[in-house]
Amino acid sequence: MKIKEYYRASSLEEAYSKLQEDPSNALVAGGLWIKKVNQNHNTLIDLSTLGLNKISEKSDAVEVGALVTLRDFESSPIVNSLYGGAIAFAIREIMGVNFRNLATIGGSIMGRYPFSDVITGLLPYDVTLEFYPKSSMTLEEYLNYKGKLNAILTKVIIKKEEGKGFYKKVKTTALDFPILNIAVSKVSNKFSIAVGARPMTGALAHKAMDLLNNKKVISDKDIEEASELVSKELMFLDNKDASKEYRLDLAKVYVKRGLKEVSK
Amino acid sequence: MKVTFYLNNTLVSYDVEPGEYLAQTLRKHGVKSIKVGCNESTCGSCTLLLDDKPVMSCSVLTASIEGKKVTTVEGIQQEAAKIASYFSKEGADQCGFCNVGYALVIYQLKKDYKNPTDEEIKNYIVGNLCRCSGLQSQMNAIKAYLKEGK
Repeated sequence: MKIKEYYRASSLEEAYSKLQEDPSNALVAGGLWIKKVNQNHNTLIDLSTLGLNKISEKSDAVEVGALVTLRDFESSPIVNSLYGGAIAFAIREIMGVNFRNLATIGGSIMGRYPFSDVITGLLPYDVTLEFYPKSSMTLEEYLNYKGKLNAILTKVIIKKEEGKGFYKKVKTTALDFPILNIAVSKVSNKFSIAVGARPMTGALAHKAMDLLNNKKVISDKDIEEASELVSKELMFLDNKDASKEYRLDLAKVYVKRGLKEVSK
Repeated sequence: MKVTFYLNNTLVSYDVEPGEYLAQTLRKHGVKSIKVGCNESTCGSCTLLLDDKPVMSCSVLTASIEGKKVTTVEGIQQEAAKIASYFSKEGADQCGFCNVGYALVIYQLKKDYKNPTDEEIKNYIVGNLCRCSGLQSQMNAIKAYLKEGK
């Protein structure tokens, strides 16, 4: 990796303008993925002095600065109070403390990594991303956005609601990427199901969610049907870590367990 | 470019390349206690404390630590010696390559948690791999060290 300049931005405006100067210029968050992909950059733009590392609780939401580290996020009492701690649990499953003290929420989301526990862990909830220049979109809209977004993520807003969550990361060893990750929630009586590492980036299983959310009472048969539907509506593939068939079996089992767990 | 930071409470200023990593910088300046194992943010051998938080120095851009506080095992010598003696008593000390990273993580664990559960200890040290042992002896040594002075 060759970097010609390391630039400490003193404002978002300055960072954004530097980003436009050269297509190889990049924002640096935790810096972990920059090392992994080993690309050359004319300038790396550091946002660390812009106050993007705070978590604040509002009356209806939790606002998380894009540079909040995964460790600060998962150990925050505010985040742990959300959805029975399900989101914090998902993030705690990522590598070790010495990794999570570097990786950031913003970097993990903007990369749209196929293995991301951050994305799958947040997807079943009402999550909005705020950008500079001023714009916003839901996490799902960002995941479906084609191409590279020409903006700086500043804030991740997680709506506070009553509800329960379930998270399962299937991995071979503690420090592995997931073979599959599954997040299920029941918030304001609505079910939500996300599956990632299929091995593609996390996605919501809308058909299965609609099937459940259109019923007044959920039976074991409905849960069975919904888990089958997840395996049909989302794409699952082989890679060196696991076969498509194995992933499908895992998805069915853990979606079912998740739905039962959040229905209790 | 010049980067100034506190290394074990001493203000230092080094000329670094913009893409240089902290483990590389420190070793270049004689801090050989930093061990680089996998060099891809996994094994934890290169762990040090950055503003009192364990991080993998192989993945920290030196340019990003302007004004911060870096603690290596040289900065916690007394505690590191205690941890080493518990490791030795439990037979957790084999090739020794991972010990420096372990010492820093365990030192900070003791500061961050009053009475950690086994689960919390495991979660805290999972990013430090020992390829010689089965990790049970490390757990025993860590628990004995955490109990010290209580």
